[in-house]
This record gives sequence, C-alpha cells and structure tokens, in this order.
Amino acid sequence: MSDFLESRRRPFSGISSLLFIDKKLLIPIILITIIGLLTIYSSSDGNMNLVLKQFTRIILGIVVMIFIAQVNPDNLRLFAPLLYFLTIILLIFVLFFGVGNTADRWLDLYFIRFQPSELMKIFVPLMLASFYSDKPLPPRTKYIIVAIAIVLFPVFMIMKQPDLGTALLIGMSGAIAILLAGMSLKFFIVSSVSTASLLPILWMNMHQYQKQRVLTFFSPESDPLGSGYHLMQSKIALGSGGFFGKGLFNGTQSKLGFVPEHSTDFIFTAFGEEFGFLGVMVLMSLYLFIALRGISISIGATDNFGRILTGTLSLTIFLYVLVNVGMVIGFLPVVGAPLPFMSYGGTSMVTLFATFGIIMSIKSHQRILRK
Amino acid sequence: MKSSYNHIMKTKARRDSIRKRHKIEEKYSWDRMSDSQNERKSHRNRALVAMLIVITFFVSYMVELYDVQVSQHNYYSVKSDSNRIRIRPVQATRGIIYDRKGEVLADNINTFNLIVKKELIKDKDNFLKKLKKLVPLDENKHNDIIDQYKNRRLKDITILEDISLEEYSRIAVDQYTLPIIELTPKSKRRYLNPEAISHVIGYVGKVSDDDLYSEVIKIHEGMTEIGKLGVERFYQNILSGQPGYEKLETDAKGEVIRTLEKKDPIRGKDIYLTIDLSLQKFIYDKVKDKEGAVVVMDPNNGDILAFVSMPGYDINLFTRSLTKKAYSKLINDKRKPLINRVISGQYPPGSTLKPFVGLLALEENIINPGKLVNCDGAYELPNHKRPFRCWKKEGHGDTDLSYALTQSCDVFFYRVAQLTGIDTISENLYKYGFGQKTYLDLYGEKTGLIPDRKWKSKTKQEPWYPGETLNVGIGQGYFLATPMQLTLATSTLTNDGNTFIPHLLLSYKDNKTKELTMYDPDNNKFYTQMKNQDYLEIVKNAMWRVVNEKRVGTASHMKKVGNIEFAGKTGTAQVYNLDKGKTGTKSLQDHALFISYAPFDKPEIVITVIVEHGGGGSSTAAPIARDIIEYYMNNKTQKVAVNE
Repeated sequence: MSDFLESRRRPFSGISSLLFIDKKLLIPIILITIIGLLTIYSSSDGNMNLVLKQFTRIILGIVVMIFIAQVNPDNLRLFAPLLYFLTIILLIFVLFFGVGNTADRWLDLYFIRFQPSELMKIFVPLMLASFYSDKPLPPRTKYIIVAIAIVLFPVFMIMKQPDLGTALLIGMSGAIAILLAGMSLKFFIVSSVSTASLLPILWMNMHQYQKQRVLTFFSPESDPLGSGYHLMQSKIALGSGGFFGKGLFNGTQSKLGFVPEHSTDFIFTAFGEEFGFLGVMVLMSLYLFIALRGISISIGATDNFGRILTGTLSLTIFLYVLVNVGMVIGFLPVVGAPLPFMSYGGTSMVTLFATFGIIMSIKSHQRILRK
Repeated sequence: MKSSYNHIMKTKARRDSIRKRHKIEEKYSWDRMSDSQNERKSHRNRALVAMLIVITFFVSYMVELYDVQVSQHNYYSVKSDSNRIRIRPVQATRGIIYDRKGEVLADNINTFNLIVKKELIKDKDNFLKKLKKLVPLDENKHNDIIDQYKNRRLKDITILEDISLEEYSRIAVDQYTLPIIELTPKSKRRYLNPEAISHVIGYVGKVSDDDLYSEVIKIHEGMTEIGKLGVERFYQNILSGQPGYEKLETDAKGEVIRTLEKKDPIRGKDIYLTIDLSLQKFIYDKVKDKEGAVVVMDPNNGDILAFVSMPGYDINLFTRSLTKKAYSKLINDKRKPLINRVISGQYPPGSTLKPFVGLLALEENIINPGKLVNCDGAYELPNHKRPFRCWKKEGHGDTDLSYALTQSCDVFFYRVAQLTGIDTISENLYKYGFGQKTYLDLYGEKTGLIPDRKWKSKTKQEPWYPGETLNVGIGQGYFLATPMQLTLATSTLTNDGNTFIPHLLLSYKDNKTKELTMYDPDNNKFYTQMKNQDYLEIVKNAMWRVVNEKRVGTASHMKKVGNIEFAGKTGTAQVYNLDKGKTGTKSLQDHALFISYAPFDKPEIVITVIVEHGGGGSSTAAPIARDIIEYYMNNKTQKVAVNE
C-alpha cells in the first residue's frame, strides 16, 4: 500500500509523462478491455463484427482519455457547472424526445445516439467536487443540503426514464463525494438509519410486481423460470466454470443462450464460466488495483477539488464493479448495470475512459505545494 | 517609518504586481482552497477507510465467488449439463407377431402426425382460417386445436394424428398456403384381424405408472409404448426390444445444436404364435354374433390353435389415442367384449364335468364299470324336501356309467356324487386342473372354483350340505370352470394323463442373429396318474357314443365329418339367477357347452365350445365344434411353415 502512497514522489519520465498518462492505471485498464474483447468474441460465437465495434469504441475511449488528461483540472473545475446544467437540459430532452426499447434512455441527435444519464455519472461528482472546491471543509450543513440537491435532481430525472439502476449508482456516487468532502459520519449514519426506517412504508406502497421482484431476489430458486431465471442461470454458469473454467469458446451456458445478455450486463458470468475462478480472481484483482491506485492518487492530490473528484470517481468505478458482479452472483437484485471496460456498449465505454482521463489529469497536473 | 515604507512600496509597479498576483490567486483560488494540513489529514483518513472498505468488499466477493465456483462446482456442473443436454429416446421397432403359418397378426406401420410449432403461429384466427381451407376440421377437432393452443405445457399443436402418406400428399398440394405446418413420422402398431384375434393379441398403449411398478415387465429407459394386454403384454420383454437414445445439445430455446452421442435401438424379436389364423377366423366368423368362448388345442403339445372369446373388439382402436366416447362405448357394451372369456369367464360346466366325475369314481373304486343305478327321473335325498331331477322326466331306467354319460343321465351322477362325497370329488377334480390356473401364457387368468367344506365355511359361514355334493356331481352349484380349464382337462383325458401346458407361443426370432428359439412343450408338461387304463377307455368310449351312437348319444344327431370320428360331451348349464319363466327371451337361456376331441383314435385337437345363453349344449354348442373339426380336417394338410 505504501507503494500507492509514495508513487507520487517518483519523477515522471517517458512518453506517458509527456501525454500526462498514468501507466499504472492504463495497463490494468488495457488488460481488462482485452479480456472483455476475448469474452465478447467467445460468447458471441466468434462474431468479429461485435469485437471490431467494441475495439473501435475502446480506441475512441483511449483518445478521449488522452485528450481529457491534457486538460488542466482547473478548467474542469471552472466548466463543471456549465457541463452539469447542459446535461440536465439533455436529461429533460430525454424525458420528452428519448428513444429506446424498454425505457427511453437514449437521445438521438441524428449524428450520434447516446445516453445523457451516462454523462451524469461523471458530471455529478465533477459538479460536487467543483462545488466544494472553494468551501471550507468539513462542509457546513447548508452546503451539504445544496450538494444533496445537486445529486437528487438528476437522480429523479433518470428514475423517471425509468432507469432505476443508473439513478441509484449516481445517487451513491454523490453520497461518496459528500462523504469524502468531509461530512461527519454521525450525520451520515443518522440519515441512513432514518432512511432505512422508512423502508417498511415504502414496501407497503410498492406494486405487487415490484414486491415480487424483491422477493425473487432473496430466493431465486423459488421461481426458476420467472424473474429468478437469469440469476439462477448466471450462478449455474459461474459454478460450472469451476476453478480453471471451461476454456475459451467452451462456455455452454453463455453460448447456448441460457445466460442472457452475455455480452453486456452478464459478461462477467460469461467470463467466469470460461476462465473459472482463476480468471475471475485475476480480473477482480485488476479492478481492485485500479480502485486502490485511484484512491492513492486522490490522497496525493494537492487540492480539495482533485481529492474529492479522484476519490469519488475511483470509488464509483469500483462500485460499478461491485454492483455488476453482485448482480450476477446474487448479492444484489438484477438492475442492469454494465461491468466497467468489459461490457459491450458505446456510451459507457467512452465515459469510463473519460473518467480515467480526469483522474490522470489530476494526477499529472499536481502543483508543487506552497507551504 | 513603516508607513512611509509602505507608501514607497505603493508604486505603480507594485500595484500592478499585486493586481497580477490577485488575478492568479483568483484564478487558482489558492487562498480560498487553502491546502490546510487539517483538510489534507481528514481526506487522507477518509481515503484510507475507503480503501479498507474496498478491500473488504473485494474479499467478501472473492469468498462468495470461491463458494459458487469451487465449493459448489459439482452441483452447478450437473445443473449446467442438464440445462443443455437432452436425451431423446429412439424407439425400438416392436417385434412382429405371426401365426403358426407365418401370417402376420401384428406389425408396425409408419404414419405421420401433422403438427405446428406454436411459436410460429403469429395470428391465431388467421391460422385457423387458413388451416380450415387446408384440412377438413369438424367442431371437435377445432376445439381440440384451440385447447392445445391454450395449454401452456405444449410446445406443438397436433393437428392430425396417424395420417397416411397419401392423406398427407393431398394436403401437401396446397401446403404453400400454410408453410408452418409440418409432418413428423411415427411408428404405429397395426393389427390385421383386429376383432378375430383381439383377445389373443391384446394391444399396446402408453407406459403408465402401474407398468413402472410391474415386477415382470422390464421397462427400459425411454420406452413410451408397452403391451397392455394379451400376448403383447405377456411377451412384452421379447417384443419390445430396447430403445436407443440420442444425446443432444440444445440451446435455451430448446433447439438442437448437435448430437453428442448416439445409441441405436435394438429391434424387438418377432414372435410366432401357435394360433392358426385361418382356423381362428373361420371360428370367429361363425360365432361372432354370440357370447362365449371357443378353444382349439393340440393335446399332443399344448399348442393353442384357436382362441376365440366372443364378441371380439377392434384392438386397433387402442393404438390410436382412444377417445373417451369410444372407450365408454366398449366398457358399457352389454355383450362385454373386453372380457377374455376363455381364461377369465367362469362357467358352471354342467354335464361336461360328468366324464371327470365318472372317471374319478371309477378310480377311487366308488363304482365299478358295471355298477347300475336306476333312474326314474328324480333322485331323493334323505332330509331333503324336493327331489333332484334328471333332465329326462320319465327317467333312464337302469344305467351304467357308459350309458349315463352317453345319455347324460343326472340321477346316475347324483348317486355317484353322493357315494363319493365332496371331499374325494374336490380332491380328484383338482388333479385334472380344475380350480387352478392352467398357466397359459396370458395374464388375467381366473382359477374357477372347486367348492369344498373349507371353502363353504370360509366364504358362506355355513356347513356343507349333502345336496350341494349332488349338484357338483353334475357340474352345477358352486362349481365353476373356465373354458381353458375344460380344454386342458379334456386333453388330459385324451392323452392318457399326459398334460402339456397350454401355450400361445410357438417360437421367437432374433432379427439380428436370425436365431429361432422354439417353445419346448416337453419341458412344459406334467403327468396325471391314471390308475387304470381301462377306466379311461370306458369314459372315452362313452364320449364316442355321445357323438356317434345314433338316437342315444346326446350329440348324435349331427352329420358325420367325412370318415373322421370324434368324441365329445354336451353340457347345458343352468343359469340360476335368470328367471326363465317370466322373461323367456332367447338371450336368457341356459349356457350351451360342448367338449370334444378329434380324431377319436388319435386325437389331434381338443375343442371346447361355450355359448352363453345358447340353450342346449347338443343343439347349439356341438354343431359349432363339429364344423370346426370339419374345417380343421379339410385344411390340416397345409404344412406348418415357420421358417418361411
């Protein structure tokens, strides 16, 4: 761990320092994207088309990341409110003109289709970090309330789409940011407990089908062909993979269609089936390394903006991993959250690279401390 | 001093410098974002806690993943395989059943089912409309298809079952209007003479729960059809063969991806029966309007040449999915076609029992061949109000055994029965095979009944009355026998005590090795001790007289069968519970019985004929037997051709 903490003292060198790139973050990310490409190739039964599309997105993401890494964090801080409010407007657009299969999450701008809610995953932490950057910390109560408003406004709009999964993730990333900003733990615990005490009332007001979903989450075996089916099949896939996995191209559960969405939300399952516990261990370790590296960058950051932003973003990325993996192993309900750098999909891939562009920018633009 | 210094410093350059500095400070907010030691420390602590939380989550996830992937690997492996691997049984072709001359009795035909996969139906009403144009659908069929459509467990709808290729090709001409319907081949059992042979062959049906618990029937994995009755049931294990299977990999939708493993089915063995189809058909055509049973058996080896229970029924009905209506029609038919009367019909044998009673009395030295009994038309029993009547009111006068048999005198046998006593009678009748199964190779055989003291006290809680012994003496009262038992007892008489167990199986052939396994009658016989050959001759001669002594024998009125002589014994069993006087219709008359064998000197066949409510044995049953003998003798020159 000391390695993460001390790393900032090492001098920069070579092309990575020229491009403001952090190799220690980039290498595990590249490894994960390679694993993702392999898994997509295998579970789609050798569909090169999908792989090439995903590869293009990765390249685009890397370009975006490098581009953002060049930007001085102060510019990010100054532009944060503008970006935040612009995206709010886009979200309002989505509510009226959105397109999509099950929920209207997409905005079709004719030359590009994207999900504004994905952008919010970056802009909410950015806005919060920017908001707290000129406030004395720990924040006073009124600033906490403003911060909560900054988080909840987009969260409600995304819930309206409806996209409960993304809304919850953004809400949690906001909570992480406020916590990192220095909100007292006491305050946090009191508010969490009071929210939890409201759960029975919420339960009573839920629709039957919503209740059923929650119940199914707690015992998927009770309804093997209904909503618990996906989870059951996902566990079967992982479990049948064993320690060494079934081997590349041999994942029967994913290839024969028992595991749904094996290239997107359930890509971890497809990977775990073919590469086994060994592969899963390597993949999870890569994510862990990225998270710890991000937090260590946050500790080394020279201002509150950098600290809050890098900390929140790194933790949020790891949270995505926890939510996605928790979903496929039955820790959490099936909410539909992609696995970072693995799942097939454009907006999320580019957003993720942009996130790390921000982290790298903060890492590489540290000012010499003025004592 | 200080102030002047300040004043000096407030030069324009200094002002500019301060302004520039403020600008920079404003830009980077160094002052407001004061990087105080406290904020740094606070963040560092929170970040370290966050790291700990991250690591905790990582560890707990890895523990769960280890549990699923490594600890429970075997459990999930099995589940994964059962997900994707389907085992599809491949039915074995059932063995063909031939008669003794190689005529086909039961074979298999390929039929087709017209089906449609539900998922292909986009618009139900439109589909039905098009289907109606293609296939004639009546109201029932239409409702049936809608029911199948609603039934969520079914993936396919069966539109038509068991259609022939010709029927299909008629549909196929216009099939382009409804391309989603498809044809699936199916092997179906076919019976060529379904009614005449019904009670011998039985039928096949779907495997039921009862079949699974059967100790005799071997159920192979994947078997769907099984013999339910008759030979199909008894020789199920020989006929069925062994189904093969295909191990298929399927995807989540159930579509087959590839075949992983395959095992071919083993064809069932063909069976040759002892039945002579032409004789069977001849008999059935003659008696199909009556109720009763006819058995023709070769006493020299136990071969059953004909086995007729009237009326028969169409066993082909059962190989299709029998409709409830058709089934209840069969069940509720007053003529009870489903009962196999040959082995499960229990009748009082009437006078056909007399040869056996007479023989046992001789052997037990109760009477001697010259013993005379005076018949004056009735027999008085002490302490019995009503006399036991002979069928001939005026009586037969002094009769010996031979004459009593020829004339079927009742009084003689009342006397003999009284002298012998029920204990000796029941013990000896058992010797001839009454009161027990004949062990014919069919299930469902009844034992008949030899009443005795023990049986009476057990079932009726009453002592045995002497009058009941008299009734048993003439084959009435409680005594019951199946047609098969009568046949077997007769064959014992004709064959001097040698009894071959009756059997329907002649041989069976393995289709692969072409190996023919013959039924060996000599391993399936027993010997009934005949104490005195002369006594046997006396009884046999009496039976000859029954048929051949003009105006004396009860069956002597019939035309001769060429130069063949045969022997027999008539019987007319009174049906007690029927009120003859009141209803008086023909169907309520006594049962007519006749046992016989031919030719007399060297018996080749034993025949038992029972016609329910047929009236007198001599008038109804005996002529049938006579015609059978005639047919048999005229056609027997044809060689038995088993090996083709």
